Amino acid sequence: MMKGNRIAITGVGETPFLRKGEESVLMMMARASLSAIADAGLTPADIDGYISNKYAGHGSDEVAHAIGAGEKRFCAIADSAGGTATTGQALQLAQMAIEAGLARHVLIPYAIRSTKPGGVYGVHAREPQKAGIEMPVGFFGQPTYFASMANRYAHEYGMTEEEQAAVPMTYRAWATLTPGAQRREPMDLDVYRQSPMIATPLRAADCCLTTDGGGAYVVSAVEEARDMPHPVVSVRGMGLGFTNWPQGILFTQTPSTFAFPGEVSARRAYEMADCDPKDMDFAQVYDGFTISALVQTEMLGLCEKGEAPRFYAAGHAKPGGRMPVNTSGGHMSGGYVPGINLIIEAVRQLRGQEGDRQVPDARLCAVAGLGGNSHSTTILARD
Amino acid sequence: MGIPIYSPTIEVPLFQGYYDGLEAGELRITADAETGEWIWYPPEVVPGKPDAVLEWRKVSPEGRAYTFTTVTRSLLPGDHKAEVPFTVVLFEPDDAPGVRVPGILVDAEGVEPRCEMRLRFRPVQAGDHKIAGFAPAG
Repeated sequence: MMKGNRIAITGVGETPFLRKGEESVLMMMARASLSAIADAGLTPADIDGYISNKYAGHGSDEVAHAIGAGEKRFCAIADSAGGTATTGQALQLAQMAIEAGLARHVLIPYAIRSTKPGGVYGVHAREPQKAGIEMPVGFFGQPTYFASMANRYAHEYGMTEEEQAAVPMTYRAWATLTPGAQRREPMDLDVYRQSPMIATPLRAADCCLTTDGGGAYVVSAVEEARDMPHPVVSVRGMGLGFTNWPQGILFTQTPSTFAFPGEVSARRAYEMADCDPKDMDFAQVYDGFTISALVQTEMLGLCEKGEAPRFYAAGHAKPGGRMPVNTSGGHMSGGYVPGINLIIEAVRQLRGQEGDRQVPDARLCAVAGLGGNSHSTTILARD
Repeated sequence: MGIPIYSPTIEVPLFQGYYDGLEAGELRITADAETGEWIWYPPEVVPGKPDAVLEWRKVSPEGRAYTFTTVTRSLLPGDHKAEVPFTVVLFEPDDAPGVRVPGILVDAEGVEPRCEMRLRFRPVQAGDHKIAGFAPAG
């Protein structure tokens, strides 16, 4: 079993998160990478390892060229989707490379242009089952898939409109304290109800934002991190979970369409970290949609199964609550750079850098990343 | 309620049998020709059996809704504003438990869609092709 506390996230950086930006994905990856490298007190010449992401569309050769890097010694691609790749699998690969002596400082960049032609759903239109059977009946696009999950979840566990609304309202409350968040205007129940319905029961406010932006982080050995500029934020636990349902089948044919492999990823991560959900000081949860955030909050063990709507409605995840969640607004109010802005925020909270929204005495954070048929849980710790 | 109009991309012969069934007024899904096990959606490779042959078989028109959503902003490529709202259901035929066929809810004026509602298959015309429709039953 992989051991915890061997690697640390030593540098983090991002571009502005914009509703509509002008820069290319590669340009945003380069800017975010250079920011993360500088944050780590390094230069591009120090980066010798890269974890690419198949959804970003640019390999390590292009990134290394764009940042003016030195000699590359290791590269790999995280072969999973969404937050699993950016907040879990990339770290696993980085640890393997560093522990094997294949790299010293590993760069993990990502950027997205949600406003690109074809939009964020273009990838689904290329799935033959979706194009052949689902799209002709209008079952298309992530909000539609997740809305159908939300109705099933409500059928099985119960969820009022107020409880559902508590999720985006919670994340918005954190975003109002976050200078770089995309949506900072306060959201109460009346504001939530004015948000247009997309597919029942999900309103636009229940969906992640449309973002053009990038983020990156640098991973180094813990021993190296002790001589670098910031307090050490180590990776204490990591767990991945997978199912073999391909993306084209996943949203309709799985026995429970919202049973992401998050319970197994959380169990593996807590085991590796030798701690429990109750030890966490705060959490970052991949909030593509209200329903996916609810389910993952349960899978992390932050509340009982089926109780996440009540957990959020009680205010436990809000500023001042007993288990802060998505402390920079998450993907629904902060910005949607899949998973990566969640991990950046976790690192800065653990360093104690977050000012008005700082979680007091933050030492341990669980980060949940969803990739549809895969899931990651990562436990970050301040030494 | 509206009807989504979006022509299927049929990967011959992957989905042809499904649409042939709709034209014939039948709901057909794929099964392993040798074992009879339902294999749905039809995959490019049958799991663990690359030599398996799939055949189209008629399933019960009666079943239930696993779940549903009423789409008020269609995310299909192109302009589909005039077609919303419509309600999509994931239909489970009584004789193929665990198999789900997406379709639209029809003949449901005044009926609140819900999970586990009883449904009956009724194909509907959507432009130049038929799509799966399901009407409240029982």
